Amino acid sequence: MFVYTREAHPGENVPCHDSFERKLACARLLREDAGIGREILVDDLAGTVHRAYGLMPDMTWVIDRGGRVAYKANWTSAPNVEAFLDRFLAARGQHPAGAAAVMYETQQIEFRHTDRKRFTEHLLRNGSRAVREFEKAQELWARRSAT
Amino acid sequence: MGEADRGHVASYNYSRFDDYVAAGGDLADEAAFRASPRAGQRAEDFTLPRLGDGAQVRLSELWRSTPLVMEFGSFT
Repeated sequence: MFVYTREAHPGENVPCHDSFERKLACARLLREDAGIGREILVDDLAGTVHRAYGLMPDMTWVIDRGGRVAYKANWTSAPNVEAFLDRFLAARGQHPAGAAAVMYETQQIEFRHTDRKRFTEHLLRNGSRAVREFEKAQELWARRSAT
Repeated sequence: MGEADRGHVASYNYSRFDDYVAAGGDLADEAAFRASPRAGQRAEDFTLPRLGDGAQVRLSELWRSTPLVMEFGSFT
């Protein structure tokens, strides 16, 4: 399932949402452009669900049956989610005779590799303003890390 | 929608990414993620409309009998 949030990098072509109708139209654009076949749920204009789950622009959560958080990542990695689900479901479902499945919690750092050229091309589809604003943000991040 | 609600909506739906970063919005988002429910805790339940038919979908119905993978994102 996919939750459509605010636009992370609004630009001339896909601006920030000023009405729920515009938000729905942008969600349709995403569905067609990215070819998302999964169910898409659209958050409200104030981002109520996005706020409750942590406001990151591209994150994934796995909620176990019954409503317990099983996995949360502030960036989506499909291979990582799939590997987690395989491990989680196997361990929960099967354990040696006489042994119990005991839950424990982990927290870990992962790395992702971004293709800047591809990312910029993607931003450009949203308008040159989105590219310029991201470049300015990069300058701000560089200044932040230098202090 | 009242004035406070309009401000709430406008600050969430920022129009310029660089201004949002300059104001520390990205840092606040990272803090919000860290403050959100941890693994092992109960997830918050909401009802949202489904794109296409507008049907109201309750998250707890989706995770009632099988795990639910929830990806959050936008066009950009």
